[in-house]
Amino acid sequence: MSAAGNSSASPVLVLDGLGKSFGATRALDRASLSLAAGEILGLVGHNGAGKSTLIKIVGGAQAPDRGKILVDGMPVRFDTPHQSYAAGIRVIHQDAPLVPAFDTIDNCFLGRPYPKRLGTIDRSAMRQAIASVATEIAPELPLYRPVAELTVAERQFVRLLRAVVDAGRMLILDEPTAALPAEDARRFFEVLGRIRSRGTAIVFVSHRLDEVVELCDRAVVLRDGASVAELTGDDLSVGRLIAEMGGGAAAASTRTGPSPAAPAVLRILGFRTPRIGEPVSLTVRAGEVVALYGLLGSGRSSLLNALWGVEPIIAGDILIDEVRYRPHDPGSAVKAGISYVPADRHRTGLFPALDLVFNKTLPLLRSYRRWGVLPIPDAAAERRAFLEAARNVSMSFGSPAQLARTLSGGNQQKLIFSRWANRHSKVMLLDEPTEGVDVMAKQTIKDIIHAIAADGDAVLVSTSDREEALELGDRVLVFRDGAIVEQWVRGEATAAGLSAAAQAKPAQAATVRAR
Amino acid sequence: MHHIGRFGTVIAFVLLCVGFSIAAPAAFASQANVFNLLQQLATLSIVATAATLVMTIGEFDLSVGFAASLAAVVCFVMFGAGYSPWLAVPAAVVAGLLGGIGNGVLVAVYGVPSFVATLALGTILSGLSFGLSGGGSLFQNVPAEFTSLGRGSLLGVPVLAFWIVVVMGAASFVLSLTEFGRRLRAIGGNMLAARLAGLPVRRDVIVTFGVAGGLSSLAGLLLASRLGSVQPTMGEPFLLPAYAAVFIGTTASPTGSPSIPGTLLGVAITGVLANGMTILGVEPFVQKMLTGAIIIVAVLVRRLGRAR
Repeated sequence: MSAAGNSSASPVLVLDGLGKSFGATRALDRASLSLAAGEILGLVGHNGAGKSTLIKIVGGAQAPDRGKILVDGMPVRFDTPHQSYAAGIRVIHQDAPLVPAFDTIDNCFLGRPYPKRLGTIDRSAMRQAIASVATEIAPELPLYRPVAELTVAERQFVRLLRAVVDAGRMLILDEPTAALPAEDARRFFEVLGRIRSRGTAIVFVSHRLDEVVELCDRAVVLRDGASVAELTGDDLSVGRLIAEMGGGAAAASTRTGPSPAAPAVLRILGFRTPRIGEPVSLTVRAGEVVALYGLLGSGRSSLLNALWGVEPIIAGDILIDEVRYRPHDPGSAVKAGISYVPADRHRTGLFPALDLVFNKTLPLLRSYRRWGVLPIPDAAAERRAFLEAARNVSMSFGSPAQLARTLSGGNQQKLIFSRWANRHSKVMLLDEPTEGVDVMAKQTIKDIIHAIAADGDAVLVSTSDREEALELGDRVLVFRDGAIVEQWVRGEATAAGLSAAAQAKPAQAATVRAR
Repeated sequence: MHHIGRFGTVIAFVLLCVGFSIAAPAAFASQANVFNLLQQLATLSIVATAATLVMTIGEFDLSVGFAASLAAVVCFVMFGAGYSPWLAVPAAVVAGLLGGIGNGVLVAVYGVPSFVATLALGTILSGLSFGLSGGGSLFQNVPAEFTSLGRGSLLGVPVLAFWIVVVMGAASFVLSLTEFGRRLRAIGGNMLAARLAGLPVRRDVIVTFGVAGGLSSLAGLLLASRLGSVQPTMGEPFLLPAYAAVFIGTTASPTGSPSIPGTLLGVAITGVLANGMTILGVEPFVQKMLTGAIIIVAVLVRRLGRAR
């Protein structure tokens, strides 16, 4: 996207030398940026670089220790989120709550005064107020359906719409595309483009560097709490961003894949689930990584869930090492030699208020029995296993007794990987294994996945990240509407090919609704 | 901040004891009063243990008091009909156990919110108690072996005190050291993650509610044994103090989670407070208001501690 023509306009928001310390930890130190009306500014940095603190300060949730904030050139102080809100700043988190039973209109009016007529709420005025903006920025968004029935992408549009109609003129978007497949992200960017052309200023905070390069006019890089670089034009590239973030350049994959003689570990024949309508047949050999790519709800995660025993199987056979396997719950999957890393670790993986050892040993707790029989876990053995597994997945932590919620996102994900690190699984199921982790942790996790495969596992990775599918998969299968529609081996697949195959129809402006 | 909360709970208990000992040295700090207190608190601490187990898996059981009543009624109706305590007591415990399993099935299999399930099923149990007892008191044909369960003493200490040690000791051991206890904490920590990690969540939830029903029955039986008579509503006053004790106990945990030692502390604080105030002649209505205020303070302290 081209640089905004009005980048020379006086900035609507300036952050000048912001600093914030928590005890001895300096979370933010000399962070500065300026934001002009009608501009999309990228903000990138590793986990812990200070992005979250910066967002909190701009949103008024935390006060800076040092530095200035200027809105329209005037110095301001945000002691409460309300003051930031009144200045027109809207911080939008990707999981910001909406009322599921309310439609788009009602959600947009949450917390705002309703238009009144004769003392009652004037619904037609509400509709008009929202619909006029909605047709401009997201014409395909349903306005009268409960948001519970909308797709993840559409809910994001609702959040944006709500901010815009409520006089938001500086939008801070925190990881807005983390849960969106590439195709939905594209529609999201179209909506952002229309919002920007209304003169709204947007800060786009993301780990997805390719999106930052594509979408943003400028990008500011945070490292160790300081803004270390500002990139525009040709300088704004993924390579430069990574270099400025202080991450080692991603090593080119030297992976060769499984030997052709490797035995088939997992065989799936005529497999159907409630979300996979077309029978799927698939063979995965020892040491092979098969990436499953597709939109949300395309069936790729349904396949993993059914193998793990948490989604029903309607038809088909599964053979593991040529032995019939019929999952009825995750316990039976574990016994059959399957391991599983779920998507959305906060909801489905982590025990945030329990310690690291607890989190690691839970699924295979029986293997820590005292003298092999007593159902009383041997704490010393657990601790040893944890330390060994933590080293295997290069997790950094303070103490085995710290609570899981105190780890960074990348280390939390490694903690979930560590559960299976001391055993040899036959089949490894990974759902969105690098969602919401920073570039360096992403690379480590990819290395771990390749190491798991090298250990002789059959690995299935379900992902909405094209680059990840291409980099990890010895084969890439594309799901669409509950069927496998395309298959490639490593080297033959391209990002454009994946996208084309994953979309139900050729890109069409009128189809904002993804399945 | 939460350190103040954690040790604050222990300090509050010590201060209470010291305060009452100074204010009423002869009446409060006497052996007779301590034994009396232990007898009064034994049944409550068993119900509070049941509540702690259920809260560990992140659920509520509002039927504990109804189950206690039902067990006592079943037992005394059988005494009245001439059955031996060797039959009547197990039958009474089984009644509570079945009620608890019913709660667990409603929650784990049918997904009924535990608040609703246990209140509704508890109401059915209460109706059963009234039906079986005819609505009045039961006190006939109570065998001496049965009354010794709750009235006797052992090594000079009231036998009920040993029940506290046995029940809470066992529950504490199970929760903190066994695989089952680990699973319960996992279910309470993140039920979906526990299920996806392959734990038998459904079975464990049913077992937990079943055990809670069984413990409530035990408490009802011990209360009946101590009093020597039974009314169909006798267990109901357990409900609020039991949960008050659990909530006060959570303030003693770094993560604000329920624990058996915390609950014991909660039982002791509420018990000592009521006992001391009665000795000092504080009006019952003031006692009630103070007890409510203390629960609110305890929960506020926990929230403040967790906000950090």
